[in-house]
Amino acid sequence: MRLTDCLRDFKRVGELTKKYANLPDSYIKRSMERVVWKTPQNNPRYLPRTVKKKKYHFSDHRPWTMPFSSQNNFGDLEQKVFLEPIKEWSIFKGDRVEILVGPDKGKQGIVGHVIQERNWVIVDGLNCEIEEVSHYKGHLSMVQMKENPLLVTSEVSLVDPSDLQGCSVEWRFTESGDKVRVSTRSGKIIPIPSLAKQTYDYKTPNTYKESEKDTTEDDIKKITFSPILKTFEMEVMDEMDIKEDRIPAPTYWY
Amino acid sequence: MAFRILSKCRIFQYIKNTTLHTNLRSNGIHTSTVHRDLMEFFDDKKNWAVEQIKVGRSWKKDELRIKSNQDLHKLWYVLLKERNMLLTMEHECKAQFELFPNPERIDKVEESMNNLETVVRERNEAYYKLEVGESAERPGQLVTNLLGLNFFYRKFEHLIPKFLNRQWRLKHTFNVVNGNIEKFQRLYREKLHNANRKSRNRDRNHVMHLMKRYPNMDMDAVKQQYPTVDIEKIKNYHKVRGHYVP
Repeated sequence: MRLTDCLRDFKRVGELTKKYANLPDSYIKRSMERVVWKTPQNNPRYLPRTVKKKKYHFSDHRPWTMPFSSQNNFGDLEQKVFLEPIKEWSIFKGDRVEILVGPDKGKQGIVGHVIQERNWVIVDGLNCEIEEVSHYKGHLSMVQMKENPLLVTSEVSLVDPSDLQGCSVEWRFTESGDKVRVSTRSGKIIPIPSLAKQTYDYKTPNTYKESEKDTTEDDIKKITFSPILKTFEMEVMDEMDIKEDRIPAPTYWY
Repeated sequence: MAFRILSKCRIFQYIKNTTLHTNLRSNGIHTSTVHRDLMEFFDDKKNWAVEQIKVGRSWKKDELRIKSNQDLHKLWYVLLKERNMLLTMEHECKAQFELFPNPERIDKVEESMNNLETVVRERNEAYYKLEVGESAERPGQLVTNLLGLNFFYRKFEHLIPKFLNRQWRLKHTFNVVNGNIEKFQRLYREKLHNANRKSRNRDRNHVMHLMKRYPNMDMDAVKQQYPTVDIEKIKNYHKVRGHYVP
């Protein structure tokens, strides 16, 4: 049970968030973890036990960042979040959406931020709230506008590019086998914006600047494998002129 | 910070005070990278005291499958050296109370190494299945211990057969029928059953709250995510009714 519980917690980090992070899963898991105490590893005197935070509270901070970990201290209790299950996510970063609730109802904007863990999107410059920041004693506080998140399921709708009005969306396959978003009202395809491919490291995969230690694309694509009836060790030994003529003594596996 | 790392590092002080024999370094022509002795455990000097070191992603399995065994062998040692370097730098940064830039590099290297090992195992497995007729992996079997619990025992290689190895036989009592574990087994099964029951109840309660909060919810998605919950049954429960006029 314990294993499945911790897996479920980590699973709650959304796929889109992981894609945006462009980080290995093990790193996201490692940086999220708040381990308080652990029994000495590989010591037969101790059973493998860890005391750590089991439930995380997700908000607008990315799970691998410092603000997230400072919000998720061990022992902090947050109110339970009821998350509506969604079959297929259909709103991505860079999409034009119409807002259905609040002071900016009926306005259209561009999605700037997707928080899949809470079914939230943040629309740039819309659905704002005035917020006081840096309020110290004896000083004037600063006021700034901050976008409030909106629920994907009921508070925003995608905009149909043919008539620039909100519509409901369905995933369908084209004749060539591509999966596309289609507006149910007009049947027009809504293309996925290029901003959706943006990650923490680059805007689009083509604009990624290779660093010094990166393997170049040509080297990666080069096929050097040729099938040969040898194990890995045999082929490497042959290549390096290592000869092993000794006959090993019989051993027993049990 | 760069100079501080160098001067305070104990390894480096040791290198400074020793001089290597010249013939140790120049042993004929070789095509490997430049020898920098123990300093290869440290990162390049220009990467010291920087805030961010950007690198690409790790090697994927499909990319490694098209590489020859020699290439994989070389790549393994490149990755191993990189991991050693990163772990050394992390340790040194900790000792100097500095931030280690981009710690995910360690995970990227380890992921690449795991993928590489998987690919090599796949190749060996194919050879063994074809030529020897058995798996190339370490053998093992599912056994029952004295408490009646099943686990996968990974076998070891021994120099003497089992019937001569008294020590091993004393320590490993598998698949022994034992009449004294019935009570333990019953309690253990009850524990598992309770955990299962509680998780089912938790899911059902959660779905009821969801239905209360989101009356227009996509029920197919709910069924997919909580397959144990009988939605038809709970639809008319009092808890499901929200605070609105139906």
